[in-house]
Amino acid sequence: MATLFSLEHVSLAVNERLILDDVTDHLHEGRCMAIVGPSGSGKSTLLRMLNRFEEPTSGRILLRGEPLPGLDVTELRRRVGLVAQRPTLLAETVRDELRVGVPELADETARQLLARVALPADYLERRTEGLSGGEGQRVCLARALAVGPEVLLLDEPTSALDGASADAVDQIVRDLVADGLTVVLVSHALDRAAAVSDDVLVLRSGRLTARGRADEINFPTAVLGRGEGAVAGEADP
Amino acid sequence: MSPNVPSWTGVVASVALVVLAAGIARRGRLGVERDLLIAAVRAFVQLVAVGAVLSFLFLHAGLLGALAWMAAMVAVGGYEASRRAKGLPGALRSATLGIGIGAVTTLGILVVFRVISTEPRVLVPVGGMVISGCMNIAAIVLRGLRTSAVEQRPQIEARLALGLHAREALAPLVRSTVRMATIPAIDTTKVVGIISLPGAMTGLILAGVDPLTAIRYQIVVMYMLLAAGAVTALVTSRLAEAALFDDAQRLRRMPFA
Repeated sequence: MATLFSLEHVSLAVNERLILDDVTDHLHEGRCMAIVGPSGSGKSTLLRMLNRFEEPTSGRILLRGEPLPGLDVTELRRRVGLVAQRPTLLAETVRDELRVGVPELADETARQLLARVALPADYLERRTEGLSGGEGQRVCLARALAVGPEVLLLDEPTSALDGASADAVDQIVRDLVADGLTVVLVSHALDRAAAVSDDVLVLRSGRLTARGRADEINFPTAVLGRGEGAVAGEADP
Repeated sequence: MSPNVPSWTGVVASVALVVLAAGIARRGRLGVERDLLIAAVRAFVQLVAVGAVLSFLFLHAGLLGALAWMAAMVAVGGYEASRRAKGLPGALRSATLGIGIGAVTTLGILVVFRVISTEPRVLVPVGGMVISGCMNIAAIVLRGLRTSAVEQRPQIEARLALGLHAREALAPLVRSTVRMATIPAIDTTKVVGIISLPGAMTGLILAGVDPLTAIRYQIVVMYMLLAAGAVTALVTSRLAEAALFDDAQRLRRMPFA
């Protein structure tokens, strides 16, 4: 199993406050890794470091053995796609939305992308302003896939969605991973993260406290640092 | 002295108009009497001072003096425009260069083609008009970009995340900001002479110049303002957009206005 990302003693301090504290880990190709932890634990920051939206103040991150700062940043972001927490639509129609990153995208390819996110082919003609939250998020997923990334970063992709829409997005993520795509997702909902991911990385106050398969981790201890409660249901501000 | 220009006695008599305005404000309990009087005194002092400086400039300072005066106007204009976009990285530099390049380009073309002369009494007032127009446009561009960069951060990051270059990611916002900044000058040009008699033309007519002659100057001024505004909007937005991102093409964080 090839290593995609290597994190070596990654720390981030902002105004002398440690957001991430000496995180070392490896993310493997073709798997779904969930980064979980309570609000303010640094999980979204860590995710955003993988496409250089954030920069460590010490340590380094490597993609297939190459330090990220050595890669062309636009090329890096085409290889490492990111979908934000809330659907952020940029164009008037779904067709134009899918073409934001790939202006020459053919309609046939666009329809295949819609199929990958479980949307009917005729959605290509739809106006984006009429889409529901769940549909919008799926279009955002398709838009990221259009660029042909090696890995997809998902920052709480279901937290702004209702239960049924969130279930649909989770199923799409599972299908994408089954097709060979590497996914790294951030979640505050442990049950949801455990159901979707192969591996889980737990952060607490910026420190890596546990790492392994979801069924191997003692979440109350890893997340809260004591043997009680859980963070499921908490939300980032 | 031209009979069209008020004497100093006339100027003193016009103080009655300020008294009238202050009286209306006082009677209406508007609470602006003090501001009104301060504004009137400031206008008097500032205009007397600038009149004295310009008189000296026109008589003794020559072309170099005129250029120095215009450089000072550009610096002040750049400072004022940048104040509209507090927290925007490099705003002072973007505004000053935008205004300077806009003014130099258009005035340079007019001088090279001998449309206007290089006499200080021509360069300074015409330069003042163009620099003032450019300052307004630079201010709108900077304020618009700053607001967009804060409010539309998710959209900008969504484009960056798709591998778009910083300039491409900001392009839709730059387009709408530049359009917003240049539309007032275009609208003013459309209705000139119908709704308003603009400054240059009014000044020449008051000085006794035939209106058909005065409009020639005004036409040149309007076209100059259009070009200078376009150049200023382009340069200011290009410099500002570059300053909005760091080396890794990350949108810099700015506080809400």
